[in-house]
Amino acid sequence: MTSPSRDLHADIGEILLSEEEIRAKVIELGARIGADYAGRRLTLVSVLKGSLPFMADLMRAIDIPVRIDLMEVSSYGGASTESSGLVRILKDLSASIVDEDVLIVEDIIDTGLTLNYLIRYLRGKNPASLRICTLLDKPARRLVEIPVDYTGFVIPDSFVVGYGLDFGELYRNLRYVGVLKPEAYAPDAAG
Amino acid sequence: MTPAFAHASEAEMARILDFYAVRWEYEPDTFPILWNTDGDVVESFSPDFFLPDLDLYLEMTTLRQKLVRKKNRKLRRLRELYPNVEIKLFYARDFRALMLKYGRLALVDGLSGTSGQVAAPHLAAAAADEAIAAAEAAARSAERAAARSAARPDGGARTDGATTPRRRRAASPITSTEGTAIHR
Repeated sequence: MTSPSRDLHADIGEILLSEEEIRAKVIELGARIGADYAGRRLTLVSVLKGSLPFMADLMRAIDIPVRIDLMEVSSYGGASTESSGLVRILKDLSASIVDEDVLIVEDIIDTGLTLNYLIRYLRGKNPASLRICTLLDKPARRLVEIPVDYTGFVIPDSFVVGYGLDFGELYRNLRYVGVLKPEAYAPDAAG
Repeated sequence: MTPAFAHASEAEMARILDFYAVRWEYEPDTFPILWNTDGDVVESFSPDFFLPDLDLYLEMTTLRQKLVRKKNRKLRRLRELYPNVEIKLFYARDFRALMLKYGRLALVDGLSGTSGQVAAPHLAAAAADEAIAAAEAAARSAERAAARSAARPDGGARTDGATTPRRRRAASPITSTEGTAIHR
């Protein structure tokens, strides 16, 4: 894998979503979710690791009582791929969601493969309802069509990092969402 | 049993689908897309994958741009004839993006065509395809008109029609065992 330069910002070709734009959208989403779930038992389920910053900001923008939980699933191409060849739940829910209203909090939906798996998995746990909130939607890459209930931004077909999204586990700590320069992941692309 | 994939990118896609527990069938159906005036199938299309849980066909293409255009044209024809068939075309750049996402970019060069077709948007190709398709449609139209005026009572052309959309994939695709998969 290509070693990123020391300055993460230098690897960003374009800032797609500024910190301010993200903040405003998160507040807007939080208000909508708070209104829609008023008087109900809402559990936010965040999918690690990418959605961590979004989850942290979104839960504080929701003005009703919420429970939170975290899940992590193995990704294709990761260390677990070679051993089993099947997706694995690396971290399961810490509490039951039976009869709870559950909102999956995602950082980005592109192919929909991971989310499709998660939805099937979580439905098996008999929640009262199961809906989806994503900060970013990249429909150009969609393989599995999944109805998304709350979408922050529909983004073009670029490789984006920042605000939780990574490349090679880096760039997650950027406060904005930016397009990674091709030379940051494929040195030959620069020429 | 693992089928004999025609291309390594298809094998990789099968592994990805397996990983995410998405059931798939490899080239299960062949769709006729062009007939001659005697009603014989002269061109057909066999999508690489069918995903039964999603009722979706998936066609991979990591080929040279010229061949991608040909495949685009066939895909457009299939959509005209079988409007209820859901099919997605995975271009080389889509596959590259997928590999990038999964940290397997090193595989791409070995699996896809030239880097030029990977980087180039397929808009120009689509425009070229439109022109080809228009020319072909005009030719077919002229063919049908000539056939209609022929002496035979049925006009010499298919009455169920190469241009008659089928309702469902199950309506009449040829199975892979008897089909004429000529899209490669």
